[in-house]
Amino acid sequence: MLVGKIDRVGRIRTLHGDMGVWHKYTFGLAGERFFRALAEKGVLLATRCETCRKTYLPPKIYCPTCFAELTVWVELPPRGYVETYTFLYEDLEENRLTEPVAVAFVTFPGVEGGIIHRLGEVRPEEVCSGLEVEAVLAAERSGGLQDILYFRPSRE
Amino acid sequence: MRERVAIVGVGYTSFRPLSPEVSFREMVFEAACRAYADAGLEPDRVGTFVAVSEDYLEGTSIFDEYVPDQLGAVLKPVQTICQDGITAIASAYLQLATGLFEVALVEGHAKASNVLYPAHIEAFAMDPVFVRPLGLNPRFVAGLEMRSFLAQTGNTEEQVALVVAKNKANALKNPLAAYPALVTAEDVLASRPVATPVKELDIAPFADGAVVLILARESVARTLKSQPVYIRGIGWMQDTPNLDQRDWSQASYAELAGRMAYRQAGIRDPKEEICFAEVDDTFSYKELQHIEALGLARCGEAGVLLSEGYFLPDGPLPVNVSGGSLGNGYLYDASGLRSVLEVVLQLRGQAGERQLPDVRVGLAQSWRGIPTASGGVIILSNE
Ligand SMILES: [Zn+2]
Repeated sequence: MLVGKIDRVGRIRTLHGDMGVWHKYTFGLAGERFFRALAEKGVLLATRCETCRKTYLPPKIYCPTCFAELTVWVELPPRGYVETYTFLYEDLEENRLTEPVAVAFVTFPGVEGGIIHRLGEVRPEEVCSGLEVEAVLAAERSGGLQDILYFRPSRE
Repeated sequence: MRERVAIVGVGYTSFRPLSPEVSFREMVFEAACRAYADAGLEPDRVGTFVAVSEDYLEGTSIFDEYVPDQLGAVLKPVQTICQDGITAIASAYLQLATGLFEVALVEGHAKASNVLYPAHIEAFAMDPVFVRPLGLNPRFVAGLEMRSFLAQTGNTEEQVALVVAKNKANALKNPLAAYPALVTAEDVLASRPVATPVKELDIAPFADGAVVLILARESVARTLKSQPVYIRGIGWMQDTPNLDQRDWSQASYAELAGRMAYRQAGIRDPKEEICFAEVDDTFSYKELQHIEALGLARCGEAGVLLSEGYFLPDGPLPVNVSGGSLGNGYLYDASGLRSVLEVVLQLRGQAGERQLPDVRVGLAQSWRGIPTASGGVIILSNE
C-alpha cells in the first residue's frame, strides 16, 4: 500500500480517549420465548404468518410483510442448510487469527431468514453452500446465542 | 413546475491515510473555504446547513453540536443526519424545493485515522441479541455477501479483482487520491484472505478528508460565477437492518434508490442515457453488484463487460474514473459526497488529466457500509 510521507509524526500531540458506554438489552417478547425454548428444550422456534404463508426466523411478534401481529409459533426441523459462508481471518482489533473462523448463514426449509453462526467439527474443504448442518448446543444453557456452540455437518 | 436545484460550489481537502497535523474541524474549514470561493458566496448567503456524521466514528457523543463553527453556520438552521452523504444532499435538496431557502450547504468528513479499532464500531451496530454475541469482525458480512453475489450472478473472483486494478490505476490521474497504484488482478487474487472470498486488496483502505457542496435554486444559481450542475433526480433507500432477512446476493437498496432517481430524471434506459458513473466500491465486488442494481449492466453481465473494458475511462460507460474508494480511500459517510464531487468536476470540465470528453449526464451512488443495506443515488447534468 502506498502511504503518504509523514514527517516527525511523533512530535504531534494526540490525546487518547474512550467511551465507557455500557448497555443492557431486553430480548423482547419474541426473543424471550425463543431463547427460553432453546435453553429449556433445546429447540429452535419461529413465528408464522398464516396470511402471508411465511415463517420467520429469528421469530418476530409482527409480520414485516403484512404488518399483522403474529401468534402462531412453530418448532423448526433439527437440520438446516448453509446458504453462504466465509472464512474470517481477523479479530475485532484486526489481529490475524491463527486459525480462520468459519461463519455461515444457516437457513431452514420453508423459513424466511435464518441464523448466522460459526461452523465447527468440519474440515475447511468440506464447507460448501447447501451443506446440511445441525446445531450443537451447550450442555449448560442460560438462554442466549451462546447456547448454540456452532453448527456442524449433520449426522445420520 | 418546481424550480430546479443546482450544485454551485464544491470544496474539498485531499484524501490522505493520515492527517496528524490538523483536526477534523480544520479539514472541514479548508473544504468550506474552497466551496465558498468556488461558488462566489459568503457564508451569510447560506440559509440552511446539512451535515452527515455518526457519534461513534467521531469519538464524540451528541456530535451534531460540533458542526456549525467550521462551516460559518453558528446561529443558522443546521441539521445533522446519520446517513450517507447523498441522503444529506437529498435533505438539502428538499429544503430548497420547499421555497423556504435559496442556498444550502452539505458537509461530510472522515477522520478515520483517529478511530483506533473501526471494527468495534461496526460490531456494535450488529443486532445485540442475535448477531453481536458471536464477537466477529464484521467483515464476515462482506464475505457472506460476496460469495452469494458471485454464486447467484455468475460473476467471478477474477473479474472482481479487475475492479481493484481499474480503480487504483484511475486514481493515478487523481491528485486528491490517497491510494493510487498499479496493481494487477493477480496481485489482488494473491493478497491475504480477510473474509473469503474477500481479500486484503478488495477492501478500500480508510482515508481522512472533507467534502463540502453548496446547492442553490436555479434562479440564484444563474446569478453566480460557477457553472451550475443540476440535480435531475435523487433517491435514497433503506433495507431491513436484519442480516438474517436480507437477500445476500442483491443490492436492493441501490436498485430502488436508482429507480426513484431515474423516475425523477425521466431516464428510461440508464445504460444508454448515463454518460459515466461513480458507484460505491468500498469492497471491490460491491462495484459490480451496484452496477447491476443500477441497471448499468444486466444481472451477471457486469464482470464480463468490465473485462472487455466497458467501464474503463475510454470505454462506453466509465465507472469510478476518480479511482473510487479503492483509489481515493474510504471516507465513511463522506464517500458519497466524494463521488458527487467527481461527477460535478467532470460535468464542469474541471477533472484535469482524467477529464472525460463530452459528458452531459453523470450518476453517483453511495452505500453506507457494513452492516447497512442503505444508500442513495443522484443524477446530475450540466444542462
Ligand atoms: Zn404477513
